Amino acid sequence: MIKKIFKIEDMTCPNCAMKIESLEDDLEGIARVDASYRALQAAVEYDETKVSEERIIAALKEMGYTALVVEARR
Amino acid sequence: MSSKNQNKPVDPAIIVFAGIALLAIAFVTAAYPAGADDSGAMSQLMVAFVTGLTTGGLSCLAVQGGLLASSLARQIEQDYAAQIPAGKKKAKLSAPKTNSALPILLFLIAKLIAYTLLGALLGWLGSYLALSPLTRAALMIAIAIFMIGNALRMFNVHPVFRYFAIEPPKFITRYIRKTAKGTDTATPIFLGFLTVFIPCGVTQAMMATALGTGSAAMGAALMFAFTLGTSPVFFIVAYLATKLGAKLEKFFMRFVAAVVLILGLVTLDSGLNLMGSPLSFQNMTRGFFPRASELAAADSPAVQVPDGELALTVRNDGYFPALLKAPAGKDLILNLVTNETYSCARDFVIPALDYYELLPATGVVKVNIPAQKAGETLFFTCSMGMYTGQIVFE
Repeated sequence: MIKKIFKIEDMTCPNCAMKIESLEDDLEGIARVDASYRALQAAVEYDETKVSEERIIAALKEMGYTALVVEARR
Repeated sequence: MSSKNQNKPVDPAIIVFAGIALLAIAFVTAAYPAGADDSGAMSQLMVAFVTGLTTGGLSCLAVQGGLLASSLARQIEQDYAAQIPAGKKKAKLSAPKTNSALPILLFLIAKLIAYTLLGALLGWLGSYLALSPLTRAALMIAIAIFMIGNALRMFNVHPVFRYFAIEPPKFITRYIRKTAKGTDTATPIFLGFLTVFIPCGVTQAMMATALGTGSAAMGAALMFAFTLGTSPVFFIVAYLATKLGAKLEKFFMRFVAAVVLILGLVTLDSGLNLMGSPLSFQNMTRGFFPRASELAAADSPAVQVPDGELALTVRNDGYFPALLKAPAGKDLILNLVTNETYSCARDFVIPALDYYELLPATGVVKVNIPAQKAGETLFFTCSMGMYTGQIVFE
């Protein structure tokens, strides 16, 4: 499992955070997403063997958000 | 008729409004059955319901409309975000189809439950739960700051205003997401419950009646009847307001933010009035912009009172005259005269003297005013901070 922090500058309201957290349900390999509208970032904990960073960024792009990794923790 | 027309979905607003109307009819039928004895309790409930339906709805909307607007603003933001994905700012902007019926309904149901519970508590606990005007003023100012901060956030003035957004705890959002698939139900419910802390003048009068029942069941029934009565007005005004907003297309979000900002400023002004602050807009501008009704009242004959006493006529539309002059250095008596007065003007407050009284609908109440220094001003207001006036000592 790895945890990465994604900076998402184009969140416009608290509902965006909730929408981004729905990745938990939609993408296999994601264990937990904690998104914050106030911090404009999302902490994503995922299984690297099942899903890649690029796939997460692409999924967020499909939702209409531009994400950038700012921190990674094992 | 084409199949397309046959399959056209019914506007949720019609379903919600029909639901409220049916509930109200059911209530009236149950509370006032044909041929039954007109018992005191039943007629009291009917009076509460009709009061809510007539004066209560608009009066409460003036005070609590901001919280409802905040609920709707959140839903509108959600609909807007769903329609126009971030990062596609050049996409053709159009007004989102808002799902405003649901948050209004949730807000009203939460309000109905909250006030019913409050009625039960009031009936049981007596006057222990009554909030002082100063506490209510502080709450109103806090709510006003929240609303203004939220409006500035929506205007994207500065990142710091993002802290004014309500972010429910993660376990709640997770639960909501699992059950409602992204529909934000927590905010309108939470804000609906919050209305308990900012009752309008008519509501306070009803709360006082609930206190007097001395029964949890009757207190709950009374507040339920009243709050149910206010619901149709709340729903119609709020729903029409969102439909009006939807026509403003690309200015839509700014329009919502502007409405929240204006309501926030009005709430702030009411809070300042209730604190007896000379800095409220009404108190600062009284001499410059007298209301038309004040000018009309100036021509009508004043109430006759003995020397050393002042008379203040308390009407449904405020206090007349709003500007009284009194001699400094002398104790005096202020006569508050009501004549079929049912508005919040009845809930009379002099913040500096910590004086609060629910006046009788018709009658005279005397208030002892201690001697004041020359140049002092004593502000008075209704308990909503809506109608105001002042006594200048010279």
